[in-house]
Amino acid sequence: MESVESIVKRFVVSAMSFGSISKEAHETVAAAMNRLGASSNSGEGGEDPRRYKLLPNGDSLKSKVKQIASGRFGVTTEYVINSDELQIKVAQGAKPGEGGQLPGHKVSEDIARVRHTTPGVTLISPPPHHDIYSIEDLAQLIYDLKCANPKARVSVKLVSEVGVGTIASGVAKAKADMVLIAGHDGGTGASPLTAIKHAGLPWELGLAETQQSLRQNGLRDRIRVQVDGQLRTGRDLVTAALLGAEEYGFATVILVTLGCTMMRKCHLNTCPFGVATQDPRLRERFTGQPEHVVNFFHFLAQEARELMAQLGFRTFDEMIGQTARLAYNPADFTGKAAMLDFKGILEVNGRAASQPVTCQRTAWREGVECFDDKLIAKCAPALERKEKQVLDLPIRNVHRTVGARLSGEIVRRYGPKGLPAGTIQLNFTGSAGQSLGAFLAPGVTLHIEGDANDYIGKSMSGGRIIIVPPAAATFTAADNVIAGNVILYGATGGEVYINGLAGERFAVRNSGARAVVEGVGDHACEYMTGGCVVVLGPTGSNFAAGMSGGIAYVYDPTGFFDTRCNLDMVDLEPVRTDEDLTRLRTLLERHIKFTGSAKAQQILEQWESQLAFFVKVMPIDYKLVLERMKQTPHREDETVSATEEVYNDGEADGLSGI
Amino acid sequence: MAKPTGFLEFKRQPPSKRPVNERVKDWREIEQAWPEVKLEEQAARCMDCGVPFCHMSGCPLKNVIPEWNDLVYRKQWRAALELLHSTNNFPEVTGRVCPAPCEAACTLGANDDPVTIRQIELHLVERGWREGWIQPQPAAMSSGRKVAVVGSGPAGLAAAQQLARAGHAVVVFEAHDRAGGVLRYGIPDFKLEKWILDRRLNQMKAEGVSFETGIKVGEDISVNYLLRHFDAILLAGGARVPRDIQAKGRGELKGIHFAMDFLIQQNHRVAGDTVPTAAEISAKGKNVVVIGGGDTGADCLGTALRQGALDVLQVEILPKPPAQRDASTPWPLWPYMLRSSSSHDEGGERRWNILTQEFIGKDGRVVALRGCEVEWKKAENGRMSPVEKPGTEFEVPADLVLLAMGFTKEGNAKMLNGCGLATTPASDPVLDRNFMGSVPGVFVAGDLNRGASLVVRAMMEGREAAAGVTRWLATKA
Ligand SMILES: Cc1cc2nc3c(=O)[nH]c(=O)nc-3n(C[C@H](O)[C@H](O)[C@H](O)COP(=O)(O)OP(=O)(O)OC[C@H]3O[C@@H](n4cnc5c(N)ncnc54)[C@H](O)[C@@H]3O)c2cc1C
Ligand code: SF4
Repeated sequence: MESVESIVKRFVVSAMSFGSISKEAHETVAAAMNRLGASSNSGEGGEDPRRYKLLPNGDSLKSKVKQIASGRFGVTTEYVINSDELQIKVAQGAKPGEGGQLPGHKVSEDIARVRHTTPGVTLISPPPHHDIYSIEDLAQLIYDLKCANPKARVSVKLVSEVGVGTIASGVAKAKADMVLIAGHDGGTGASPLTAIKHAGLPWELGLAETQQSLRQNGLRDRIRVQVDGQLRTGRDLVTAALLGAEEYGFATVILVTLGCTMMRKCHLNTCPFGVATQDPRLRERFTGQPEHVVNFFHFLAQEARELMAQLGFRTFDEMIGQTARLAYNPADFTGKAAMLDFKGILEVNGRAASQPVTCQRTAWREGVECFDDKLIAKCAPALERKEKQVLDLPIRNVHRTVGARLSGEIVRRYGPKGLPAGTIQLNFTGSAGQSLGAFLAPGVTLHIEGDANDYIGKSMSGGRIIIVPPAAATFTAADNVIAGNVILYGATGGEVYINGLAGERFAVRNSGARAVVEGVGDHACEYMTGGCVVVLGPTGSNFAAGMSGGIAYVYDPTGFFDTRCNLDMVDLEPVRTDEDLTRLRTLLERHIKFTGSAKAQQILEQWESQLAFFVKVMPIDYKLVLERMKQTPHREDETVSATEEVYNDGEADGLSGI
Repeated sequence: MAKPTGFLEFKRQPPSKRPVNERVKDWREIEQAWPEVKLEEQAARCMDCGVPFCHMSGCPLKNVIPEWNDLVYRKQWRAALELLHSTNNFPEVTGRVCPAPCEAACTLGANDDPVTIRQIELHLVERGWREGWIQPQPAAMSSGRKVAVVGSGPAGLAAAQQLARAGHAVVVFEAHDRAGGVLRYGIPDFKLEKWILDRRLNQMKAEGVSFETGIKVGEDISVNYLLRHFDAILLAGGARVPRDIQAKGRGELKGIHFAMDFLIQQNHRVAGDTVPTAAEISAKGKNVVVIGGGDTGADCLGTALRQGALDVLQVEILPKPPAQRDASTPWPLWPYMLRSSSSHDEGGERRWNILTQEFIGKDGRVVALRGCEVEWKKAENGRMSPVEKPGTEFEVPADLVLLAMGFTKEGNAKMLNGCGLATTPASDPVLDRNFMGSVPGVFVAGDLNRGASLVVRAMMEGREAAAGVTRWLATKA
């Protein structure tokens, strides 16, 4: 019989963000799962890099699985490379289709630091991923992640609902290594009541549909299947295995082993057991130990083994997908329930019947090749000896996610601070493919002469991206679209200079990068929480929707900007203070320096008169918090971080005060 | 919910007690009332748990504690009281004598001090009495059925009130001269003043309950007689047969009494009744030994001190429990731990692991007690049993010995069998889910059913049995 120790390796603790649960609870779970050789999940919202070091007692507090959620909070290059699995959260069981919100009072200094935001400012996770509007986009994100971290597998979390099988098949085709089907019962503590009551289906239904669809489409052999959503007993595990799941996720029950008593106070920050709270007085009351979790999983595995023995299976692998061994007892179903038809779950017909029932791949992940593989080889002098390097290369739109793997390599070697600014300068000519400069690390400059596609600077953590039109172009740069949609999504650092117009959703969820662009489409600066954006030309509508942090300066000679700005969360102010003036001017000077922008040049030439046309977009809460922070003297270096990052990011050649 | 952060802002503040030197001179209540604002603060400590253990596994009556705490915090007193009364007939009683298993199960108690639930309950109901919110609630319609309740302890009284409110004509038969059971005769006045009972009995009378006191069913009237005149009978006679001690001298010596005889006599005295000198049991000027370390023993201690005992020693054969909740009974279980009553603050000495070996007499009266210490060891059958520790024998002066060692279930079985009801080998009555015994129409509740227990459990059984009676009557054409 397969041993308990071997079975527990299939267990994972599902995503619970640091923010929704306390540091103590989060770290205890990670320590326990690492002891078991199983995995825990960072959840949304990043992870404190201090957790990547082993403790003196040999425990590791690192979450093997790192989540990539729609908010992209804390998704830095360092975060991505420190993972065994990267999980794209398309939806959450308890609230499918809804975004999340972390109220300001829960955004402590610790949380703000790992999320790269400002303490006390409410954080909104948008309902969708702004870089996934189709299955092709999902494939692109999977590719991005596999580029950035060539060692991690990529999984996609879906919610059990009608049609999930079709989506899961798409996920398999998009080359994910694992698909997670989350049942509707999961993680209800902090979810809206409407979602708790009315959304999603039990995991059994979604799992059965997924298993069948994958087999029907001949895809089951390519992808592993995980299930979660209030799994609690050995019987749940065995049922899940028979229905086709290879891995099993747990959440609530693990919190219960650590002291949760189902107070349902998760959203109030008053959990008296220090589990789902950030209040230091309550966190002191946390009594959970890794041993508690380890014991629970041992018991669970043992119970599953006993059932497995009764069924005559020696290993979990033998049992997975043996749906024919499931039956239902008609005596248990009376009244209305007697009309239920279980055929759809229990019977397999047609093409599916001849297909494998489990993933046949032996490798943990399916690797991808990328442009950077050659770059990394060429950049050896810089990578190994920090030598300055300048390379001139052609680029085409089939070259996607350029810079990500190189950046991963830099951060792996030198940590999140990367290389000194400008160490590697890559001059490309041509049309760059999607996700140019995703996960870019400090020390790399990407200079594109030509144009670039969508998702430039996605999750950028440092470095510089410059995009200019071809030298031979005859059009006016300031009137020409030169960069795609959704630029700087989830960026935490670095700078971008675009000599031309960009598409929709410019700087969506930016939390640290600086950018200068000469015009943007709709929804620019949406959900932005930090960083600084200068727009030197026209904007589309709905500017600054849900923007809770960071600053934008918009050049608006028409005077109509206020009609295109979403004023729910921001104020519009003139640019007047010395701080603003220096910051804006420095960015314009840099824009000219890197792109030679004619428009910026004109503005600077008539600085005094043009200044009046600039509007400062300032989030209301953010302003209050900044003022408060200025009044309280800095206590320790760490606590300053969030705001400092807005102004003082990395490559400070002459950019003091920004 | 009451204040979300209330438990972080306010500390538990148990009610203060009257100073010892003052209170041992009278028979009046010991605890003092809080000011109202204290009460609201204490109620604000309630966390409105997602899973309220106080209500679910703590209070036998299933009092909806978080809800009324919330209302108290919001000053909606009347609504709170209504809610309290919806599950608890006599909060003024439980509010004084309940050991509050709710508080032992209170989630806040898992890592902090629990909410002062009992005290909030008491203040709430007393406020209701003061404001005149507590009025008789006679049934709107008569069912035309007659129910006899035998015994007027908390089980019988709760049942009688529920039955009368359900529209039945209820007669309570009580062997003693006044109604109340142990609440009247047993629990000392300093824990529960008896006018509190009378106040509630008046409400019950106004609701149509009649009381026939001084009538012992089985002697003065038979069960058969009752069966002929009533549609149903509820037996709630309590656990009344005390456990005796097997020690040399017990049979022949005077001055050794059961606790209940001693306590009841004092209740009579406080009530103004005269006690015949020949039967008088008094601790005045005596060396008193109370055998039995429980609540009844503690009541004897407090009573003996008030009577003017020279000194009081309370001995217990079991080991001394730990001062804090023992790890074997983690929250939310009823904790195994040392319990001290208000009487223990008033004087006397307590000893554990003590086996009484012999009563030593002079002129036919007890003058001393000889005992020794024991050690608890696992016997061959796996049970822990006491083993005498050599060299620990001692003798203490004892001219009044009070036996407070609990009540036997065999005693219950005798009463039940006497009424024609079948019992199990463990001396429990055979009951169906309506609390009806083997004779149709005869129901059992309270200590007579489960053996000596708590007031709150007796009330719970009384309420449930009343519901059972009503359900059963509905099936009879
Ligand atoms: C001294 C003492 C102190 C206690 N203190 C506490 C305390 O502080 N808190 C707590 O929760 N619990 C306490 N208890 C336990 C609690 O009092 C009992 O569990 C509870 O009273 C049982 O209620 P009951 O209605 O079943 O029986 P009882 O209260 O015993 O009432 C039974 C009544 O039936 C009458 N009766 C019996 N047989 C007949 C008959 N044949 N005909 C007519 N009438 C009959 C009896 O006279 C008696 O009045 C104490 C018990 C004792 C003895
Ligand atoms: S009756 Fe007793 S257990 Fe129930 S709420 Fe009142 S004090 Fe607590």
